[in-house]
Amino acid sequence: MTILHLSSIAHCLFVFVRRFIFRDSHRLTFTFLIAFVSFSAISPSLVWSTQMVDEFGRKVTVPDDPRRIVSLAPSITEIIFALNQESRLKGVTQFSDFPAEASKLPSVGSYVHLDLERIVALKPDLCIATKDGNPIKVIKMLEALHIPIYVVHPKNLELIMETIIGIGKILHADDRAKAIVEDMQFRVNTVKSLVLKAPHRPRVFFQIGISPLVSAGTPTHIHELITLAGGRNVSEGPVPYPRYSHEQILIMAPDIFIISSMARGEQFARVRDEWARWKDIPAVKNDRVYVVDSNLFDRPTPRLVDALELLATMIHPGLFEALK
Amino acid sequence: MERSVLLKRILWTVILLSVLLAASILLGILMGSTGIGIKRALLSLTSSRENDPMLHTIIWQIRFPRVLLAALVGAALSMGGLVFQALLRNPLAEPYILGISSGSGIGAIIGILAGLSRFPGVSFTAFAGSIVTLLLLFLMSSGKAILKSNSLLLSGVMVNSFCAAFIMFLISITQDARLHNIIFWLMGDLSMINLGQVGILAAILTPCFFLLFCFSNQMNLLLVGKEMAQSMGVNIRIVVPMLLLITSLMVSATVSFCGPIGFVGLVMPHLLRLIFGPDHRVLAPACILGGGTYMVFCDLLARTVPDQGEMPAGVITAMIGAPLFIILLKRSGR
Repeated sequence: MTILHLSSIAHCLFVFVRRFIFRDSHRLTFTFLIAFVSFSAISPSLVWSTQMVDEFGRKVTVPDDPRRIVSLAPSITEIIFALNQESRLKGVTQFSDFPAEASKLPSVGSYVHLDLERIVALKPDLCIATKDGNPIKVIKMLEALHIPIYVVHPKNLELIMETIIGIGKILHADDRAKAIVEDMQFRVNTVKSLVLKAPHRPRVFFQIGISPLVSAGTPTHIHELITLAGGRNVSEGPVPYPRYSHEQILIMAPDIFIISSMARGEQFARVRDEWARWKDIPAVKNDRVYVVDSNLFDRPTPRLVDALELLATMIHPGLFEALK
Repeated sequence: MERSVLLKRILWTVILLSVLLAASILLGILMGSTGIGIKRALLSLTSSRENDPMLHTIIWQIRFPRVLLAALVGAALSMGGLVFQALLRNPLAEPYILGISSGSGIGAIIGILAGLSRFPGVSFTAFAGSIVTLLLLFLMSSGKAILKSNSLLLSGVMVNSFCAAFIMFLISITQDARLHNIIFWLMGDLSMINLGQVGILAAILTPCFFLLFCFSNQMNLLLVGKEMAQSMGVNIRIVVPMLLLITSLMVSATVSFCGPIGFVGLVMPHLLRLIFGPDHRVLAPACILGGGTYMVFCDLLARTVPDQGEMPAGVITAMIGAPLFIILLKRSGR
């Protein structure tokens, strides 16, 4: 019992000192007051928290020092690992496989079909969800269960950087977050400046999965990546994930054909052979059909810049030899 | 004299099945995907919230509403099966097989895609869908050429495939995140429910159960044949449409909350008829309680069998129900 009290005091001190060092002056007096009260009461159940507005525009009471976070999407898990804050992570979703250690954490179901009971059993002090990925029903249910839930909305590169900064702030990893974002920014700018030298913008068809033929329209981050990498997305348009027939692809005549899939080796060879029949497609004729790791392209994480660089080397191999 | 015997039988049936239902509900809230021991859960039931707030939340706010929902849905679907079997004088009739569930499914999906709320929006479109399919069904099977009882079943199968195709069409034109929700919902999904929603469903279903129980003697007479029933004082023009309307309302209410769950209305009335005999005055309460028990068990299996996540409850009911349907079909052919 005394150890518990001591640790609680130490914890209070830690937060207090950190507040002091970072000169969070507008909350300093308040913190001091609370610290004083909890020193005298020594109640370990007292958790300090702050009202925040998440990227969904909701008001959330986020604990000052969250220690039991449940991440509700693989991308959020990746961001937390990138911030070196994985010790705070107590639960992840199925397919949280990057980095490899992430898959060792307890799973709470897939991000579209979450198991509420498992989430609650992990006693989270904070859940982090994505607006587009997780069903809104889950967010409502967790709210009703009084579990703080912070919703992020990283739908393009700029917003991904904001999300990283935002999560970094919650996890007290501001510096690390800033470093990651600066690195991303630098690499994006490098690609941008190299693309400027490109003589033309090849037509790119980006296929999501092997079948059916689904591509990415203008309101997606895939479109953004293709454009940044110096390509022209042939499936641009208002529909986020348009479907196509083989005929339509023949007419669109893409110069480069990219399939984002989990397929490797033999399966990949089969997909390539299937497309090899359509010699009229420039991408097939010039042997520019590629398969890329869908996890790299689907997940809004710092690794999306890796995806951008990969895409740029595929679209403009000459320009980007130096990057390799 | 006979009346008191009947009352006694009803009373004993209700007591027996209530005990079973209560036991299944207890088991349902004690077991779950987290693998917390039954002993610890039992302890938490008897002690106050402060002892184990996490488990308390899991039991009362996640498992309890869900188990209640399962019981209500099972009761409604079993009653639906019982009524259709009496009305059509066909032991194989059931809301799912007849296509009523899929019909209200179409209505519900249209409601979901239109962004309506679960209640009253989606419930209403689901109800409209089930009424339209019901009318279609009767139109199709009421011609002179097809008066045999199996013709209605065949019409039902066709209505079902048409509805399935239409649902697939709606799914194929949906392009966003709602798709996953719809697909899980289509397989019969009982998760993500709160007590308020269960309350709404209970408020819709309880009067339906009561009314159907009041009609149970008429159902007995209808089994003998419509003309016979009429001569024995059953007002067919009122009773039959009333029964159909109430059943559609019940089925569409359950469908709008948890998707089309099949074969419950086939399995339970049969089983209970074997045990308690053919009298609907006993069968009606038996179906309500027994159907609830069955569904709670199916949902429990759906929650605890898979290692990762959970299965939709509709998968379990179909796996038990479809083989039984074939067995019954073979038997009725003899």
